[in-house]
Amino acid sequence: MAARGLDDARPLSGSRADAPPGAPRGRAGSPVRPILEELAACLGRWSGWNGGGRGSRHKDQAAVASSGGAACPAAQPDSRGADRQAGARAGGVPADPADFADERAFNHVAMRVHAAQRRADQALRRYWDAAAPGPPSNWRDVPPVPVAAFRDVRIAAVGAEAVFRTSGTTGGRARRGEHHVASLGLYRAAARGACRAALLAETEAVRMAALLPSPGDAPDSSLSAMAAFVADEPEVRGAWWAFDAAKGVRLDVVRDAVGDGATPVLLLATAFSLVHLLDAVGPSGLALPPGSRIMETGGFKGRSARVDRGVLYARARRRLGVPETCVVNEYGMTELLSQSYDGVAGRAPPLAERAHRFPPWVRVQVLDPATLRPLSPGEPGVLAIFDLANAGSVCHVLTEDVGVLDSEGGFSLRGRAADAEARGCSLTAESFLAATAAGRP
Amino acid sequence: MNVSGRAQRTDAWSWPNGVAGPAATTELQAGSAVLRFPDTREDPPGFLRRALREGANNLAAMPVRDLIASLGLAGETLAQSLDAGGADEVAANAGLTAPMARTVLAEMAQSWTREALERLVRKEFRDGRVLDEFVRDGGRRVRAAGPPVALHLGAGSVPGTTVTSILRSMLVKSAVLAKPGAGDAALTVRFAEILRSQRPAAASALAVQYWPGGRPSWDAWERKVFAAVDQVVVYGSDAAIESVRARAPARTRLVEHAHRIGVAIVDPAASVSSAADAAKAVALFDQRGCVSAHVFFVLGTQAGAAQWCDALARRLAGLARDLPAGRLSPDEASAVQQVRGRLALKAAAGEDVRVWTSSGLEWTVALAGIADFAPSGGRTAWVVAAPDRNACLAGLATLRGAIQTVGLAGVSLAEGGFEEALFQLGATRIAPLERMSFPDAAWLHDGRRPLRELAAWGEARPDGA
Repeated sequence: MAARGLDDARPLSGSRADAPPGAPRGRAGSPVRPILEELAACLGRWSGWNGGGRGSRHKDQAAVASSGGAACPAAQPDSRGADRQAGARAGGVPADPADFADERAFNHVAMRVHAAQRRADQALRRYWDAAAPGPPSNWRDVPPVPVAAFRDVRIAAVGAEAVFRTSGTTGGRARRGEHHVASLGLYRAAARGACRAALLAETEAVRMAALLPSPGDAPDSSLSAMAAFVADEPEVRGAWWAFDAAKGVRLDVVRDAVGDGATPVLLLATAFSLVHLLDAVGPSGLALPPGSRIMETGGFKGRSARVDRGVLYARARRRLGVPETCVVNEYGMTELLSQSYDGVAGRAPPLAERAHRFPPWVRVQVLDPATLRPLSPGEPGVLAIFDLANAGSVCHVLTEDVGVLDSEGGFSLRGRAADAEARGCSLTAESFLAATAAGRP
Repeated sequence: MNVSGRAQRTDAWSWPNGVAGPAATTELQAGSAVLRFPDTREDPPGFLRRALREGANNLAAMPVRDLIASLGLAGETLAQSLDAGGADEVAANAGLTAPMARTVLAEMAQSWTREALERLVRKEFRDGRVLDEFVRDGGRRVRAAGPPVALHLGAGSVPGTTVTSILRSMLVKSAVLAKPGAGDAALTVRFAEILRSQRPAAASALAVQYWPGGRPSWDAWERKVFAAVDQVVVYGSDAAIESVRARAPARTRLVEHAHRIGVAIVDPAASVSSAADAAKAVALFDQRGCVSAHVFFVLGTQAGAAQWCDALARRLAGLARDLPAGRLSPDEASAVQQVRGRLALKAAAGEDVRVWTSSGLEWTVALAGIADFAPSGGRTAWVVAAPDRNACLAGLATLRGAIQTVGLAGVSLAEGGFEEALFQLGATRIAPLERMSFPDAAWLHDGRRPLRELAAWGEARPDGA
């Protein structure tokens, strides 16, 4: 996955782009704009899925899985059935985001968004035309755009409210991917339901400690922006930003967040910043209040360094007193506005039984990396993700992450392949960028 | 980490005679083979250390000419065994096709012969006996010897790199514990077993054992090994090298070979074979070697470079048939897909980018700017049009820190300090493009003397000068 403005908890620099650099390409009348508003209204209503591990499959998930993709539908009462079906037939965005679990409803909106993106962005249209004959009729047939392309080309179907950048600190500023985000409201709506369901379930109050730079310090970090959304939730009684560009993880700030220990703490961290915190607290540890929970992200890729999640979670239990059931992994990236989680904090299953799930407006395919053809559940391949929340840029993104679908609609990340030892003595892209950073802008 | 199935199983260890075999083993998929290796995580490495120190004593007592004869004979026998079918096992382990393994091993084996080793010792030490005793050196007497025990940490799946590394250390009379890359285990073990059968005394100073380096579960073992040896020769990524540096005791000397890439400068007007040579420099080792070519600066216009790309693409297509590539790992295939996709989108956005591809992922040629380059492997040639040499140097400057070999085709070094400029940009080897992939035994690997770097020196001045 592309790191989201955070390079393994190393400091970053960047500037907030309230207005994007360079004029938006005349997108005031973009066909995408109305869809953004509809989606923002819809996605904000999502209240999450049940459970998070295998065995917690909702009946809608089976439908999604059998149709070739994976998603995490909500368990919500069917109160607006007729309206929803009408909306789906018209290609309109349904009132209830849970309806995206229905393949037809999803595809209708996906094709509507795709058509709008084709009209709005010439480069995308040419790319798609060159890659596949004729406009697709199904979201699976939309050629995915590789995440690496976000480094090279400004992908924007509509003018942007903000620009988020991948960390890319090892490759210099010029090598950072940029996601031009048309609607922060849509980003918030896409992020909110999933993070509420995964992180704030069954709690009335938490104090948030983010081992991340604040949005003020890292205005182009999508992860910091997401953490700020969490901080706005009503259950969150104060947010402490415990990462400093110069000093790294700030243990003193984490202690402030713990306060008198009366309120559980929600700790948001990258895997590597969590490691740094665990190192900082030492063997004597820092007991977080009962009910505390941890969201960690990243650490799968295993390139510069590898984080063994079993070891990490065991250390978190020993040093912070947070059991494995209260630690969840978030999978997301700068290039996507939606996130997946591998459990619900407080009742997350054992690591071996976990599976990631996106909200229902996202589809995941595992593709054969050699042919880009879809693979069956159980077969490892690269993840391609179709995220309707990306309506303002491009929905179908080919990641660099290896994963495997399970038979119940979830997916697990494999990081690098099992025989992931470097295959030669030639530089990998990541090492190359690090080695040549000094010579780049 | 247990692997089942009907894949070929290779034992990835060879310990000195008298050392009891492993109490437990585990398995790992490497290429299309399965490696079975000792699961020694819980055991102290003392037994290996003791045996190897005895082996080092045996080497110390052995005249270097005998050592050259022993090691060279084993190298020659290894080459013969590969001709006799052993290359297939090596290919399976490395994830290369058999024709590719045979081709690259035939070339590499030329540096493992008695003659090549003798030449190497002669080039490195004016008098090879300096490895046996003090010899005159002007007004003083000097002596050279490697430390008693050296650990070699190999990288990945380029077969032969660990054998070469073992030979270098043993020539300076260090006993060696070699951890080959997972894809280089079969060849390394084969060499050790040949040496053991032919020259037990020399082989007493060699142990081979694979383990999954850098894994948290092997951290304790690795720390013990680093502390037990006198020198570590490590091949790997910057991250791997940093990891060894952080864990090795200060008294353990490190000799580092970081991953690098090869680049080439081509003047098509002056070299009719440049496209064919370039295709080989890309395809050999399936572009996994530090000597493999990734970037080509083509002198002339953009249109001329495009024409050359056409020719290169045809040659790569030919090699896809004659020297087919091994199966790409998911990561490698993914990297190629990312490169192709991002270049396609750049082209769609109106940028001056052209891409030639095979129908599958066998090869890719990209004509684009150097600023967008990142190595992807998978036989991907990144071609940059350069109007003149200065433009080449400016482009190479952006690769500073990553370059190892610079191949030249139709480009003379005679003019105006060009080789000096390349050296200043970090090139440690400048070679004809057609020989780029196969340095000779005495090459200054990553800017280091192959034997002298491994030895410690002593001097005696009998006259007190």
